Amino acid sequence: MREVLRLVTQNGVHKKTAKGFSFLRPDEPGFAFLLNAPAVLLILLLVAYPMVHSVWLSLHNYHLKRPGRFPFVGLANYLKVLSSPEFWNAAKITAVFASSSILGVVLLGALLALILNESFPGRGILRALVLLPWAMPPIVNALMWVWIFDGRLGAFNGLLYSLGIIDSYRVWLSNPVISLPIVIFAHVWNHVPFAAIVILAALQAIPVELYDAAKVDRAGVLQTFRHVTLPWLWQAITIVLILETMTAMRVFDEVYMMTAGGPGSATTVLAWLTYQTAFLTLDFGLGNTYSVILSIVTTVLTVLYIAVLSRRGDIQA
Amino acid sequence: MKRSIWKKILLFVAALFVFLYIVAPFSWVVITSLMSETEASSVPPHWIPDNPTLKNYALFVTGGKGGEAAKTSDAWSPQSVKRLPIAFRNSSIVAISVALLNLSMGAPAAYALARLRFRGSNLMLMGYLFSRMLPGLSLIIPMYLIIRKLGLLDTLPGLVLPYTALTLPFTIWILRSYFMTIPRELEDAAKVDRCNWFNMMWRVFLPVAAPGLVASAMFSFMASWKEFLFALIFSSSMAAKTVPVIVAEFNDPQVVPRTIMNASGVVAVIPPLLLAVLFQRLIIQGLVAGSVKG
Repeated sequence: MREVLRLVTQNGVHKKTAKGFSFLRPDEPGFAFLLNAPAVLLILLLVAYPMVHSVWLSLHNYHLKRPGRFPFVGLANYLKVLSSPEFWNAAKITAVFASSSILGVVLLGALLALILNESFPGRGILRALVLLPWAMPPIVNALMWVWIFDGRLGAFNGLLYSLGIIDSYRVWLSNPVISLPIVIFAHVWNHVPFAAIVILAALQAIPVELYDAAKVDRAGVLQTFRHVTLPWLWQAITIVLILETMTAMRVFDEVYMMTAGGPGSATTVLAWLTYQTAFLTLDFGLGNTYSVILSIVTTVLTVLYIAVLSRRGDIQA
Repeated sequence: MKRSIWKKILLFVAALFVFLYIVAPFSWVVITSLMSETEASSVPPHWIPDNPTLKNYALFVTGGKGGEAAKTSDAWSPQSVKRLPIAFRNSSIVAISVALLNLSMGAPAAYALARLRFRGSNLMLMGYLFSRMLPGLSLIIPMYLIIRKLGLLDTLPGLVLPYTALTLPFTIWILRSYFMTIPRELEDAAKVDRCNWFNMMWRVFLPVAAPGLVASAMFSFMASWKEFLFALIFSSSMAAKTVPVIVAEFNDPQVVPRTIMNASGVVAVIPPLLLAVLFQRLIIQGLVAGSVKG
């Protein structure tokens, strides 16, 4: 209410004094729009319009191999997708990929944050090193694990062989049971630092007095963790959960590099199926249908994310 | 007393595990990149190279002709290694342009959202947040059609534009939260001195906001440097192929030997890693502010 009053009086005063190019003054509402104009225009052209266009394309038969033909087919593509076993298989693999990698990222991230929050010699160096996986491009991350799990020369084979666990080298990435867990493992390695950093920041925000109080109450380590630490971490963990769900839902680089969706369709996640349909089979109509479905799922998550943020009062909605 | 010693030991072991988990995988890439091809082919692997060499890195400049590389049995194409420096140049141009565009478009927008009260500001904020969350994959087909229509397929601007659009929302988001930590008195003082708004921004506000600006420039640089999918689809020749695209092409013993593949991976990590080390504190603050504080 006070804000509204301030706005009203400000504008009132202003209208009396402003002359000429009044929109160039910072206290004029048009000025704020002017400052946002370049960003808004670019995002409208390259994000908002493509989003709408993508929905439009998904309602058509649109095959790059048959140029000139662009019939409107309504929801036919969606019906086709929703009744195809290919889609449901990819959806299932994406769900497995997302749920296990998110669990891995959050648990390992929290563990890492708890360790890095203690004091020990070399903590500063370790905190800096945690940024290494974060700085690594996903493609290089994938390359690294391709090389480690290489069937002919890989370090993983070498390690197991030297320890006497296996008696001959094995091909890991083309094993239909193991390939998905390996891609998940690689993805988790790349994303743990982000979770660790955000959770560590939340840990550092906990007032020391609370721990002192817990000590006075003779609370044990686990009790202190449950009743003092954990309540302060929920918000950070929820946000990491949602952001990581979004990244995991759209995983592409690792799959492209490590398995190309295979062996068979063992690692064919939704993003890979979309890429395959649109850019290898050149079926833009069907490809868009997949990507619209992906956006719908993501949008639900985004709304959830915004809800979490605004409950914290970080966004004034 | 006894308990605290056990705690110290436990902590030490845990820290050691963390260290190995983070460092060991990438060290293996670095170690292989310093080996000759024959040594990298040993079974079981040599964990420490006998004669570490930078020859694999030199090949990126000289090309693969002659020398040991030509003697190897794999029929890889020696000239393909020279693609990496070109891709490195492409990636640098793209990432720097994206970072600069982000600053010049993001800073004014963020300033308006942090300081000026206007109708629709919350809506705008939500719009940015929402567009930041959309998966690139669901935009890529229509974006491909737009870039093709603009005649920008297989050009560097054809990558700079989409990358800027995709990174801008995050830039605005973290710049806004940084700007809000700057005391208002600063601008009021400038106003008293009868500074006009542009002067005030240039001489007073932006210098004070420099850490936030550096952080957001870095985030957009890194995002562009790491991006693969758009680069893969929008580029078809060395005119626009970026480092991740070339590294992905190197993932094939028919194209380059594994030693060179690993060396290319190391080269690709250097710029983002260097930034991460140099600006560690800013990055950590930015990551936290960008995801949690809003």
